[in-house]
Amino acid sequence: MTTATYSDALARYVDFNKKPEQMDIALMAGGALSGAIGLAFVFYMLITEGHSAFNTSSDMAWGAPIAFYLFFLLTSSGLSIIASLDSVFGLRVFYPIAKRAVFLSIICLIAGFSILALEIGRPFRMLWALPFSLQIRSPMWWMGVLYSTDLMLLFVKFYLIHTGDWHSRFSHLIARISFVVCILAPGTLGLVFGMMAMRPAWHSNVMPMYFILTGFTTAVSFMLFFTSLLPRDKTSAPNVDELYHEILPRLFFVLLLAVIAIRFGQIVTGLWSNFEGLEANWLQLQSPFFWIEIVAGLALPTAMMAFDSVRRRPLVQFVAASLFNTGIFFSRLELLIMGQKVPLFKGYWAGYVEYWPSLTEWMLIPAGCGVFLFLYGAGNWLLRLSDTERNNH
Amino acid sequence: MARWGMVIDLEKCTGCQACTTACLMENSRLPGEMWQDVLFYSEGEYPSGKLSWLPRPCMHCENPSCVAVCPTGAAYKAENGAVLIDWEKCIGCKYCMIACPYGVRFYAEEKQKTQPDIRNVFPPSGDKVWDPPYKMPEHVQDPKHGVGIQPKNVVSKCTFCYHRISKAPEGTTDLDPNDPATRDFTPACVVTCAPTARFFGDLDNPESNVRKLIAEKRGTRLLDQTGNRPQVYYLAGESPAIPETRSVRNPKT
Ligand code: SF4
Ligand code: SF4
Ligand code: SF4
Repeated sequence: MTTATYSDALARYVDFNKKPEQMDIALMAGGALSGAIGLAFVFYMLITEGHSAFNTSSDMAWGAPIAFYLFFLLTSSGLSIIASLDSVFGLRVFYPIAKRAVFLSIICLIAGFSILALEIGRPFRMLWALPFSLQIRSPMWWMGVLYSTDLMLLFVKFYLIHTGDWHSRFSHLIARISFVVCILAPGTLGLVFGMMAMRPAWHSNVMPMYFILTGFTTAVSFMLFFTSLLPRDKTSAPNVDELYHEILPRLFFVLLLAVIAIRFGQIVTGLWSNFEGLEANWLQLQSPFFWIEIVAGLALPTAMMAFDSVRRRPLVQFVAASLFNTGIFFSRLELLIMGQKVPLFKGYWAGYVEYWPSLTEWMLIPAGCGVFLFLYGAGNWLLRLSDTERNNH
Repeated sequence: MARWGMVIDLEKCTGCQACTTACLMENSRLPGEMWQDVLFYSEGEYPSGKLSWLPRPCMHCENPSCVAVCPTGAAYKAENGAVLIDWEKCIGCKYCMIACPYGVRFYAEEKQKTQPDIRNVFPPSGDKVWDPPYKMPEHVQDPKHGVGIQPKNVVSKCTFCYHRISKAPEGTTDLDPNDPATRDFTPACVVTCAPTARFFGDLDNPESNVRKLIAEKRGTRLLDQTGNRPQVYYLAGESPAIPETRSVRNPKT
């Protein structure tokens, strides 16, 4: 093949000839800038100071980077569930956002894995040490297996629908397997924390469900965020207005209520119990991250989504989704801190573990979000994210 | 093969931290990286306050949760009962630090509690955390068993002084620092303990001194409810219990 035929073949998949919209350019430029600044800073600090540039310690072993990673991975799984609602459950009304959801799910995983690579002590060793160890007793091992499978399936799924194959048997099979994996993966991530009996503030069999639910809620919130004001679906598919003005916001409202219910249960149980280590629940009341979650993440968006006439407005959706995303982001961080706040077995004099992320850790936010926004802008420009099955039939 | 275990007599322990210092020197630990530490507990106020303490190495659990969670197999239980870390496999994910109920695992890549940062005073050459002036000879260092100066970005912990105990002649029942025949194979913290509060021997051998102490003096294990089943036993003597609360203070009171 000549170079020309290569680029012809590529052009079938990627719309290089399309002019990017202003919003796409803004997303790509903003994402590239923020990603470059974040990554440059973090790399510089890691090269000069190593992981000591983080404020994590032997007592607070998992800090902000793990929380950010958690945020992206759980959201990714939720997006993947959204993308399955049509093909697996026959909820055809979700077809117009399915492709966008798969793409967002992929780039969430990429952003999450990028943060993990910067956090983990020896990321390159992980590539061989993890798969070959077969440590089936470790929930983290399963998490690695499931998320890698998840990423591969998402790529296949995206390729299939990108090339117009929405309905072949193979395509449906992949969609079903992908759905199972995107429930198991965040569930296992829940087990990574929930199984730890020695960490009472985490130990809970509800943790997998909590992770799946909040991941799904964040995913719906992401969809509203990215389709309310930013360039949205341009298909002429029927029902598309109903989807954006009624179904998604109403779903978001119901999910918010479910998250509030589960959080209420967690908080009240934690505050009531005298069990050692659960005093972390009282300590979290002094943490700003906790209040960001409660006020910005839960109370305000729920109020905004409560009334039908209000929640259909794109601006309201955008603000409510932004608030929820911020709240849930910090709730992940607070969850991480809470489990380790009461030190394990250090004597009376050690005191509670103090932790506030360092600048290097904060800079992982522009790094991760930058990578994410850049990829989203590029995808929106080049990959026909508004495609829906009806276009091909 | 012996299954090594330790017995610590709390009636004899003076809380002097000599074991802690010996361990730091023997194993080239950074300041604050206490593979062995003495924990203090206080209750009540003067004139009826009570102070108690408890030396705490790694418990070398029979059923170690650190090993169960490790996704790479870097954390493992050796045949002689010691729980070790293979520094050539560890990826520094720190899950084991989350999962150890006794808080005895360490990650050197953290802000140093004392300044100047000793890692900059004695900078390493190559992939090591630091290069202290006092260290065990190169041929004794053994990264596969987590012994010596550690590479960067891996987790470390008490090895039961693997480099010593693994050299003990087959069939040894107790490693007694007062017996010239076994002194060199005895863990550093046991050797150094001035009031002889620490004992080390074969838990599988009914004739061993450690087994007798556990049987005769009611040896108990810490936080037995965790199911980890430590191989370190405590003798509490007349005390009704070992101080083992991990809470600091309840914010409600
Ligand atoms: S005390 Fe902790 S580090 Fe030591 S063996 Fe038990 S679980 Fe593992
Ligand atoms: S930090 Fe190392 S030893 Fe600990 S769980 Fe991870 S890979 Fe295993
Ligand atoms: S056995 Fe060795 S490594 Fe363990 S606490 Fe004692 S001196 Fe330290």
